[in-house]
Amino acid sequence: MDELDLLKKDWKNSESNFPKLSYNDFYGMIHKKSSSIVKWIFIISLLEFVLWLLISFAFKDNEGMKRFETYDADMVLIPLAVVGYIILAYFFYLFYRNYRNISVTDNAKILMENILKTRRTVKNYVAFNLIYLAVSVVIVLFIQFEQDEVFIAQIQQAAANGELIKYYVIIILTTMAFLAIAIGILLLFYWLVYGILLRRLNSNYKELKKLEL
Amino acid sequence: MSEELEHSFIEQLEKHQNIVHKVCRLYTNNQDAHNDLFQEITIQLWKAYPKFRGDAKFSTWMYRVGLNTAITLYRKKKRTIDTQQFDNIEFKIKSEEYDDTEEQQLKLLYSAVHQLNDIEKALVFLYLEDKNYREISETMGISEVNARVKMNRVKKKLKTILNP
Repeated sequence: MDELDLLKKDWKNSESNFPKLSYNDFYGMIHKKSSSIVKWIFIISLLEFVLWLLISFAFKDNEGMKRFETYDADMVLIPLAVVGYIILAYFFYLFYRNYRNISVTDNAKILMENILKTRRTVKNYVAFNLIYLAVSVVIVLFIQFEQDEVFIAQIQQAAANGELIKYYVIIILTTMAFLAIAIGILLLFYWLVYGILLRRLNSNYKELKKLEL
Repeated sequence: MSEELEHSFIEQLEKHQNIVHKVCRLYTNNQDAHNDLFQEITIQLWKAYPKFRGDAKFSTWMYRVGLNTAITLYRKKKRTIDTQQFDNIEFKIKSEEYDDTEEQQLKLLYSAVHQLNDIEKALVFLYLEDKNYREISETMGISEVNARVKMNRVKKKLKTILNP
């Protein structure tokens, strides 16, 4: 007899060993809170949207930005802000739509794909934010070189000392280092949180995909 | 959700609760983890129940939600304890003198099944529950041919685990 057939025989007989839960036990259970990964993905994703909104508001109110508002740069900054909010709304719509599509009654593969798709939307949103952050920093730097009195004075001083290239190199390297650190911290956070949360799902999804090859 | 819905759900779940127990038996190695997964499956079943139309059997629907919860939605909480308990079982089996009783073979078999990955366990579970390849393929989202091929591989893998 095949190993699994032997197991099947016992499998059916062993049903009587399970504890019998009562109506009240089940009543208590259905009123408890779920701790599924979908719930966690939903919470973390919402936090990510909130985090980026807070970051954009925090930037708005700081001293540097107030000084920035005195420059003649509305032609650049307003479209940049509008594009930022439109894309936020678009990503949030996509996220919500994908989240609503997650159904535990779909087959295993579709369920996994829908969870990963929801996750990917937020990941793309964060990638967009990082690119947006980098582009904004570069644009802001250009405007400051052109219009900021402190910068203009420093550039003139550096030019008088014959260190103009050195000055530019230092500013650009400092900016790049700041961006690299910010992006590095975020990527580390992602790697940790989603690595832990989605490890099992990813490996099971790979296993299912492997069957199709 | 209305009390009537709650009542009809719990009544059906009470009747078919062994399905949930069996999923938990395959995917967990200790009582705490069993209870934890049982709880999560029950919640997922209840959350999905308003969309249950009755065009499928309640038990068939339970297989799908139960397995999806076990292999996709559930987060293991006590991983270290699981491993430790599992190692103990293995150790016990290896250290005992070989005894070709059915009980001994079954112990080895259950231990071997626990070493399979989540997807392989799902296939074994559906097989043990007498599901045909069409039902297995529909539940897992793979083709019938692939389900059959994978099942044969799982059988071979079990043989290898049992006779290394």
